[in-house]
Amino acid sequence: MKPRLEDLGPCFQGVIPALIATCGGDGEPNVTYLSQVYLVDSRHVALSFQFFNKTKRNVDENPFATVILLNPLTLESWRLQLRYVHSEKEGPLFDTMATRIQVIASHTGMAGVFKLLSADVYEVLSLELMEGFLDPPDPVLDAEPPKVPAGPLTELRGLQTISERIARARNLDEVLNGTLTALDELFSFSNTMVLVPDESQRRLVTIASRGYGATGIGAEVAFGDGIIGMVAERRRMIRVAGFGTELRYGRAIRSRVVECGEQARLTSEIPLPGLADAQAQLALPMLAGEDLVGVLAVESRDPLCFDEWDEAFLQIVANQIAMGIERMQANDEEPELDVAGATPPPPVAPARAVRRFVFYENDDCVFVDGEYLVRNVPGKILWKLLKQLRAGGPCEFTNRELRLDPWLGLPPIKDNLESRLILLRKRLAEKCPDVRLVPVRRGRFALEIDCDIELVERASG
Amino acid sequence: MISPELAEFLESGVSTLVGTRDASLRPDGMRAIGFRVERDGSQATVFLPAGTLGSNLANLRDNGRIAVCFSRPIDHRSMQLKGRVLAITEANEADRAQVDRFRAAYAQHLAFVGIPVRVTERMAHWPCWAVRFEVESIFVQTPGPGAGQPLARAASDGAR
Repeated sequence: MKPRLEDLGPCFQGVIPALIATCGGDGEPNVTYLSQVYLVDSRHVALSFQFFNKTKRNVDENPFATVILLNPLTLESWRLQLRYVHSEKEGPLFDTMATRIQVIASHTGMAGVFKLLSADVYEVLSLELMEGFLDPPDPVLDAEPPKVPAGPLTELRGLQTISERIARARNLDEVLNGTLTALDELFSFSNTMVLVPDESQRRLVTIASRGYGATGIGAEVAFGDGIIGMVAERRRMIRVAGFGTELRYGRAIRSRVVECGEQARLTSEIPLPGLADAQAQLALPMLAGEDLVGVLAVESRDPLCFDEWDEAFLQIVANQIAMGIERMQANDEEPELDVAGATPPPPVAPARAVRRFVFYENDDCVFVDGEYLVRNVPGKILWKLLKQLRAGGPCEFTNRELRLDPWLGLPPIKDNLESRLILLRKRLAEKCPDVRLVPVRRGRFALEIDCDIELVERASG
Repeated sequence: MISPELAEFLESGVSTLVGTRDASLRPDGMRAIGFRVERDGSQATVFLPAGTLGSNLANLRDNGRIAVCFSRPIDHRSMQLKGRVLAITEANEADRAQVDRFRAAYAQHLAFVGIPVRVTERMAHWPCWAVRFEVESIFVQTPGPGAGQPLARAASDGAR
């Protein structure tokens, strides 16, 4: 059967550099590496043009090129004979290729320096498997353990489970944790996180993660920064694989800072959760109508972990989470009939410790015992609750009263209050377990305190 | 042409590609599996596996133009030689020892960037052809400033 370009899937992931041979008008051949070849359609591929070089010059003089692609899974080698057709400087193909390059550039501090000048489209004149490239497998050395077949039914059942968890969730925490747990247990997406926009709509904040321990909740990313920030800005999925040493190097340094217990030095910068040795990352926008509800991010140490299947599958999951978040948002206040009298404060347990909270007015930032805790709306909510409690007020609160407090400055619609409360609850659990935010029922929660508290307000840090 | 320092790099088992073209200037290319600097550095021999030749051997016989690109996987240090073919022969048993050493070193280079040694070992390497050529020019091809410049110019720029 004649091979088809579309069947070369993993060859287009850029894991093993390809070879490109060209020839100038003077008859001088040139050969070099290509970091990635993009599949355009069944008869065309595209190459990125970032720097003016010999390959580009040769193709301008003589449009023919030969590319050899290697399948990183099977090591099958393919020879493609190409003819240059045209360059694209805008449009969907250009955007897709430019995004990948921008992502790597912004991760390596080279944003603006390293960018796509054009997407060069080539017609594929012939496609041939290089039969003799590999020796036959050795029955012993190359034996592979048998794989458990994962049929479409298994996958569909898994998706059904996730969909049901989201549909049945009673609160936002159940939506997020239920989904991330199922993705891990049923599909082995073991390193995942969900980020939601903050009130400025220019930053994302991490409100759920799996596979990174307790750290990382509250970590922020500006729109446009890195893979996740770019997804938020462009509202398009981004998948990158095989990103080189540079990215791993930066992440390794950051991990060392954390390991050395110097996290406090990073003050209010909570590092984004991430694998120091990630080889592939996939981030997807969660959209509801025109609104960006959040970003779902997945990463792996296996450079070939994600393919088109994962993109399609995880986009369905991301859409489901988006709808789940929207549903919680529309319906996060307690029903009118259910307004029972506020429960009396529980008997005060003997105080065991004093926790000192400091609120900085200039950036709405709360520190506990000298360590950064939380800021912005969640910080102000905590401050309001602590002050109210110390003044002898009830220890239960409703979403409604928070919405009605002008000091908190929640927007009139789509205020993401539930996700702010989840963030606050998780940050407290990590940094100050003596103070707990406990859901009572829909739209109502309690602040439980097992310590004495000291509250200090400062104009600025 | 090829300094002893450069020879050490080129023979160290770094990834090696060969580029050729036919009479109508259609290009072709392939991976090589060994390299040896000859004489005082003015000539060299590159080894091409017989199993993956494509049109390359025929091209070299037709017009003798050859490009050889070297790149170290871990840091992308890259060089390109251009030259004119002097002789094409079947590689002999003495060459084979050299090809085997190159292959072992190549597998180590690729192992640094995550490709298992066993995988590299399965790439076809024998029998092969020995292509001896005269080195006419050398270009620096490491990505970044100086890429594509002739070696001498890039070196003097670097010293400035």
